[in-house]
Amino acid sequence: MRGYQNEDAIHRAPVRIDVEELGKSYGSFAALNNVSLTVRPGELLALLGPSGSGKTTLLRAIAGLTATEEGTIRFDGEDATTLSLRARRVGFVFQQYALFRHMTVFDNVAFGLRVRPRGERPRAGEIARRVRRLLELVQLPGLETRFPSQLSGGQRQRVALARALAIEPNVLLLDEPFGALDAKVRKELRRWLREIHTETGLTTIFVTHDQEEALELADRVVIMRDGEIEQIGTPVEIYEEPATPYVCEFLGGVARFEVTATEGEARVLGSQLPLAEADETYSGPALAYVRGHEIEIVSRDIAEGVPALVRNVRPFGPAITVELSIEGHRDRIEISVPRELFEGGEIRIGQGVFVRATSARVFPSPKADARP
Amino acid sequence: MTPDPLAIEIARIPAGNPPPPRARFRTPLSEVLWVRFGLIAIAVAFLALMLALPLAAVFAEAFRRGVEPFLAALVEPDALSAVRLTLFVAAISVPANLLFGLVASWAIAKFQFRGKSFLITLIDLPFSVSPVISGLVYILLFGSYGFIGPWLIANGYQIVFAVPGIVLATIFVTFPFVARQLIPLMEQQGTAEEEAALSLGAGGLRTFWSVTLPNVKWALLYGVLLCNARAMGEFGAVSVVSGHIRGKTNTMPLHVEILYNEYNFVAAFAVATLLALLALVTLVLKSALEWRYGGELAASGRH
Amino acid sequence: MTHAIFALPRPAPSVLPGFGLTMGLTLTWLSLIILIPLAGVFITSAGLGWTEFWRLASDARTVAALKLSFGTALIAAGLNVAFGLLVAWVLVRYSFPGKRLLDAAIDLPFALPTAVAGLAFTALYAPNGWLGSFLVPLGLKVAFTPLGIVVALVFIGLPFVVRTVQPVLADFDKELEEASATLGATRFQTIRRIVLPTLMPPLLTGFALAFARGVGEYGSVIFIAGNIPYVSEIAPLLIVIRLEEFNYAGATAVAAVMLVISFALLFVINLLQAWNRRRIGFAG
Repeated sequence: MRGYQNEDAIHRAPVRIDVEELGKSYGSFAALNNVSLTVRPGELLALLGPSGSGKTTLLRAIAGLTATEEGTIRFDGEDATTLSLRARRVGFVFQQYALFRHMTVFDNVAFGLRVRPRGERPRAGEIARRVRRLLELVQLPGLETRFPSQLSGGQRQRVALARALAIEPNVLLLDEPFGALDAKVRKELRRWLREIHTETGLTTIFVTHDQEEALELADRVVIMRDGEIEQIGTPVEIYEEPATPYVCEFLGGVARFEVTATEGEARVLGSQLPLAEADETYSGPALAYVRGHEIEIVSRDIAEGVPALVRNVRPFGPAITVELSIEGHRDRIEISVPRELFEGGEIRIGQGVFVRATSARVFPSPKADARP
Repeated sequence: MTPDPLAIEIARIPAGNPPPPRARFRTPLSEVLWVRFGLIAIAVAFLALMLALPLAAVFAEAFRRGVEPFLAALVEPDALSAVRLTLFVAAISVPANLLFGLVASWAIAKFQFRGKSFLITLIDLPFSVSPVISGLVYILLFGSYGFIGPWLIANGYQIVFAVPGIVLATIFVTFPFVARQLIPLMEQQGTAEEEAALSLGAGGLRTFWSVTLPNVKWALLYGVLLCNARAMGEFGAVSVVSGHIRGKTNTMPLHVEILYNEYNFVAAFAVATLLALLALVTLVLKSALEWRYGGELAASGRH
Repeated sequence: MTHAIFALPRPAPSVLPGFGLTMGLTLTWLSLIILIPLAGVFITSAGLGWTEFWRLASDARTVAALKLSFGTALIAAGLNVAFGLLVAWVLVRYSFPGKRLLDAAIDLPFALPTAVAGLAFTALYAPNGWLGSFLVPLGLKVAFTPLGIVVALVFIGLPFVVRTVQPVLADFDKELEEASATLGATRFQTIRRIVLPTLMPPLLTGFALAFARGVGEYGSVIFIAGNIPYVSEIAPLLIVIRLEEFNYAGATAVAAVMLVISFALLFVINLLQAWNRRRIGFAG
């Protein structure tokens, strides 16, 4: 662990976190089930999942706020599982910020420095200097004497971050950092958090239930479900190669088709498409997930394709959005078509067309391959 | 809210999860075990010393000479007349404050006007006035040297050193109980339901009776309960205005004092047990209301 | 003057009926029962003239009684803050067998007639009582001394502090404590610097309520106090004694001083709370 004297959080070597076979249950409910994960030094990692998936429990376990029954958490190889919070030195930003309402912005940020043991506590002038520098880093200079109740939501968020950074943390953990903000501020702060991460170089983990936020911001995304990790990967990997039907559905924007696979291939919307490599010999019921842009309208004289009915057309923007009902599929599907096709008069509301999938992710049906 | 770590630890054991909690992990939100037990022990000892022991002493002293002197003290005519007077005073002052509480909380909680918090302060005033002063004010008003006392006495109306004075002093000291229970609750409930009832064609009284009152009935009962306990147990204010005429203007608390000053300790504590029982019944009913209807009792907090 | 006080407040527009009637009844009843009788104390005091009033109020026995009442009430309210905080903390934060019973018992001082409490404490602390028979041989005399008054006032004031602190502590956001812990604060630092400041407003309120109640308390005190003039004679008892001497002027002077000091204190507390509310956006 680094000494307290090392005053600059920004240029320290970032920490690697190893989570090994972590387990935690509340009564008979398993909040974390045998979770293993390595967070690379300096990476910005998102824990993504619906509520109850265990993502916040995992974050709190790494922080040392929640006790776990099984497994180990290591910071740079050193067992941190039973370390006190003070020894762990984790910068934690709470969802509702948890700012101390009876303290000014300055006192909030200075708190972590002032509660240090006497020998390690910086002098008052040094504390003031560091607090001012942190407030500049989070772009809030001059607000030192305000109380939290006098700040906007976005400003509170920044103070909470400055306060967490003040202790020169080994890692930075953020619980739903943008959950309490409105959409516009949220976008702004997202970009800004990315910049702060670049600037500090800290190993950073944040929890979110918003897949767009996770994919846009993180170096890697961990998708969680029922206390287990469903998939770990870069945003591109997650988006292009979702590992399970669950991931497909959680990311959204897909149409699901129940199909039948034969020898690792299945017919999806008129196209013969392969299953993943691991399932190349699979035969049986399967699920196919197709995104809107993976469906194309084919001309009527090509025999392959599935009949569909145009329900609605939104003719603005660079591409035309067309809402279809496809034979044998309950929900309507939105696809994009090139403008020429629309201007050619081929697409009108109420007209029948043929569609075809250009690609899809096909998985053996979970019923056939029951999860343990 | 995060679950109480201690509660979780307890909940986990019967669930039959084999791995015990790590011995070395210190949950950040709780004190170490010996501090926890130490604080609980101090609190329990303090409450035993301040609350349980005095209550036990009352019963022990009452039965010091056995059951017979105890019973004799209760059926003695002066004791019975004190019980009657106490019940009579409560039977007037509690309904009076109940009515006032309803009327005042309607005016204060359901309307917005300037000076509202000042008015509430005035209603709370009796809580910060010594009970002795509560009695004194009526002597200054109705006593034989008071403002209108001489005129009333000349016309045959005796207020102080008589039952009307006792009733007035009791109403004074119990004045805020019902109103202060109702006002915060009715303010929090707002006026939407009443407005709905009125828009559906109900009259004002009908709206109050079938919309407002059912919404506050448990809080009302709660306020009445506390009001009644104080009305029956009031000592200082009543003592000043009563005149201490045995069998005529002695309430139970005053009777206790007289017996005590006559060194008739067993009898004094015997009558005191009746008042202690009243307190216990009040506490039981009050707790039952809180456990059962906690959410419907108060806007926030309990007092 | 009457006009200014009794002019009906005008409400903001509302469709609800009955404001005039209920407000009228409220003000009338409030005036008849509380305000006019209380005003009598000040009118009588004013009638004495300043010199006479000052002579009565600065009488040595009166001053001793007022000092005793305010002094013991101050000490008792201070003790109540300490023990009330402890009891509220234990009741909110820990679970242990009998907790609900303990919680319900806190209100005993509200429910138990003060005279009964006074008798009970006297019986306990008298030289032959359960506690007195231990304490008196140790040289600790509680009954019939100012110490006994403090004991009785601690009993009377206990629920005020517990019941004002309890809900605030129960609603306390645990994330604040977690935040403090992640920032490296020890448990003690967290409680002292984060939890206690948040509890200051309710503690102050509880203190004020316990203090106001203690100053005026009569029934539970007179049995245990011993009532020796200049030593253990409380101000309310002095009022009673003056009344029994038909010395209405003397009684009124003591009462007026008590009322003025009590109201001034409550006013200051209210100001403090309003200031606290404005500054950090919450109050107890």
